[in-house]
Amino acid sequence: MELDDFKNTWHQMGNQAKETQHINLKLFDKMGKQKMYAILKKIILPEILGSTICIFSAIYIGINFHKLDKLPYQISGVLTILLFIVLSGISLMSIWQLYQPADAGKSYADALKEFAIKKIRFCKLQKLNITLSYLLFVTVILLLPKLFGTNHITGSKYFFIYTYTFGYSLLLVFSKWVFKSYNKTIRQTEDFLKELAA
Amino acid sequence: MDKKEQFIAAIKYNEGIIYKIAAVYTNTMQDRDDLVQEIIYQLWKSFDSFNQQSSLGTWMYRVAMNVAIYHLKTTKRKITTVPLDEQLLNLHDSDNSETEEKWQTFKQHIDKLNLLDKGIVILYLENKSYEEIGQIIGISTSNVGTKLMRIKEKLKQQILKQ
Repeated sequence: MELDDFKNTWHQMGNQAKETQHINLKLFDKMGKQKMYAILKKIILPEILGSTICIFSAIYIGINFHKLDKLPYQISGVLTILLFIVLSGISLMSIWQLYQPADAGKSYADALKEFAIKKIRFCKLQKLNITLSYLLFVTVILLLPKLFGTNHITGSKYFFIYTYTFGYSLLLVFSKWVFKSYNKTIRQTEDFLKELAA
Repeated sequence: MDKKEQFIAAIKYNEGIIYKIAAVYTNTMQDRDDLVQEIIYQLWKSFDSFNQQSSLGTWMYRVAMNVAIYHLKTTKRKITTVPLDEQLLNLHDSDNSETEEKWQTFKQHIDKLNLLDKGIVILYLENKSYEEIGQIIGISTSNVGTKLMRIKEKLKQQILKQ
């Protein structure tokens, strides 16, 4: 069997689709609103939710900033707020970029190239996000006793040792797994770009 | 004929093509139908930008295939899409099992190709000339010939391996 042998199947499938699948086009111009809602829904679920938590956390720290009485805590607080804003911004920006389809007038090869570049950019931004989360973890843990008061957990002398050890171990495992996946995607996409240019 | 009527006529004429392209780039019926919806929406949105420099058919292939690339990530992420108005797509599934079986064999092989090769195969199966393929894909006519030769060889090897 060769590629030409599939021609018959290809045409049969087209005829069949034409006979059985009928697109009712009366409502197609109403798709715009639905489309926008669909995009938002797609992004809302995994990304906007995460970003909203980040923004609310930043606001919470901002409101309770007076509790951070010493300079190191204040620096840590400012850094945490900035990181929360930057992380959510990067996340939303990278996802939004990826959801913008190529210009309809572009050739298929150009659209593929643009998509591949966006994909690489997305992976790199996500990697940057994870790297920044290492720093965020340090500053957030440092602020916890100040923000929520000293209790039997945050007041324990082992609090920082345990949270940093376990937290970092988990973060390391998670980031190693995610980085591996993103690196693989970047490598494959770069190979594809080379092939496209050949 | 106004713009809307012209568009509807063009879609009706190319209905089969849109479904086939959507079927090549997706794996489930739900994804295929979502992609058909997306293609029609993008075609309508960019209908004004169709500048008659290429034929309407060429332009439609180009838009449909470009939209399909961007739809892939959505499919992989298993994201829920907006429910369609019941009247919008009046679909019923075919029970032509022989064609379906052959189609699955075809899909199995074409899915192993990269996106560029996939696009070339679609146009080749549509009996497009090398020149038209080159125009839609955005590569030279001689490159189309070279790539097609490689794709045919690749597919032959894949089929022989089975």
